[in-house]
Amino acid sequence: MTRTEHVALKGTRDGLVLYFDPAADFGVLMNELDKLLKNSVQLLQGASVRCYSGKKEFTEDEHAGLETILKKRQLELTGWLTPEEVGVPGKSQSYATQDKETRIWEEGMEEGSCLFVERTLRSGKSVQFDGHVVVLGDVNPGAEIIATGNIAVLGSLRGVAHAGATGERKASVSAYHLAPTQLRIADVVTRGPADEADGRGPEIARIKDDQLIVESAGVKSWRGKAR
Amino acid sequence: MGEVIVVTSGKGGVGKTTTSANIGTGLAAAGHKVVLVDTDIGLRNLDVVMGLENRIVYDLVDVTSGNCRLKQALIKDKRFANLFLLPAAQTKDKTAVNPEQMKVLAAELKAEFDYAIIDCPAGIEQGFRNAIAGADRAIVVCTPEVSAVRDADRIIGLLEAAELRNPKLIINRIRPEMVKRGDMMDISDILDILAVELIGVVPEDESIVISTNRGEPAVMDKTSKAGEAYRRITKRITGEEVPLMNLDVPIGIMDRLKRLVGLR
Repeated sequence: MTRTEHVALKGTRDGLVLYFDPAADFGVLMNELDKLLKNSVQLLQGASVRCYSGKKEFTEDEHAGLETILKKRQLELTGWLTPEEVGVPGKSQSYATQDKETRIWEEGMEEGSCLFVERTLRSGKSVQFDGHVVVLGDVNPGAEIIATGNIAVLGSLRGVAHAGATGERKASVSAYHLAPTQLRIADVVTRGPADEADGRGPEIARIKDDQLIVESAGVKSWRGKAR
Repeated sequence: MGEVIVVTSGKGGVGKTTTSANIGTGLAAAGHKVVLVDTDIGLRNLDVVMGLENRIVYDLVDVTSGNCRLKQALIKDKRFANLFLLPAAQTKDKTAVNPEQMKVLAAELKAEFDYAIIDCPAGIEQGFRNAIAGADRAIVVCTPEVSAVRDADRIIGLLEAAELRNPKLIINRIRPEMVKRGDMMDISDILDILAVELIGVVPEDESIVISTNRGEPAVMDKTSKAGEAYRRITKRITGEEVPLMNLDVPIGIMDRLKRLVGLR
């Protein structure tokens, strides 16, 4: 999920949903939306989006403005969600808590939606996903993955990985070659190993007793580019 | 129909301009009709490296904005009649040209020349977007430094996003004795991260400094090691298969003994 102060963009099983803070000014919302989309546009191009703004109704002009911004980023506005659909009783609740209610932890860390990235993530690339992320390739230094679920890299993980980004401490990060610049799981952050020992094989990182522990993935048959 | 090749790197100072000058000159020496295009508007250098600074009348911006015809802005090289330079403007900045204009220019150059070598400015902003707009192929120059590799990685990502797939890599200014001591990234370290095809390795060479100052590309200097590397790169660009240059440092007797007993 990506967000600014008053706007949040979230992937759900039924497509993308934009949350607007009902209390915020329209101009502020559009500014933030534009910024938000600018940063994640490559990831989203061509997708359809539904919006949610609590019980607040947008005027026609505002509506048109919103559509222009979405169109500029090649997104299509397909409809509005009602509070009932989002499952929030009343608009007194802010979207921050809405996210909590719909996030994937009800499914645990073993199931849930998953994003497959079938290429190497190079420096400057950022992948953010509400669910698990699997990369078929490397994650180079300067690239980042932020997922609310687990992260698995079938290659070298040298960039930044943040699993369980919404606070899920059961999340894990695994890779054939685990040498991240920085590793984050939920609220725990560690730096990568200073000296890179080669050929340790596949490893998995998870939180144990408030500490981030890296251990061998323990699958003897894992082979491939283990360096 | 010719080919437009952009020489880029992300980081500054890794040798884009030197590489452009040498590849262009090398291709011209092999008999191809070549144009060098400097897109580093406001910080032009390629004319100096080619020793053609004092012949500039019109420049790239004059062409794209319609102040003159392309033919008027092209400067014929001192050495080769089939080598031309389209210099950058020095008094404007990168916003004086847009990618659409560059595409038009590239099409025009392709019709006229076998190869158009585009010297890209450092950075990933408009200058970069202009430079890659009309390109068919890309060559990424990288030095064996972590910072240069990081930037090259970003550039390769951006090139791929712009549909310029399979860029070729030149590793520039490598110092074999430092690599051997383990003080410099070696070729495989760099390829491990960048995962693109290597088209040449150019050793650090004092003759480059001399030839750059003189305005005579090192590729014409038969005694220069870097010149030899560029000659091989030129051949590879035209599709010939030539081995990478042997950069091995002479092996001492202790090394040989160690190797014999299997210590390394």
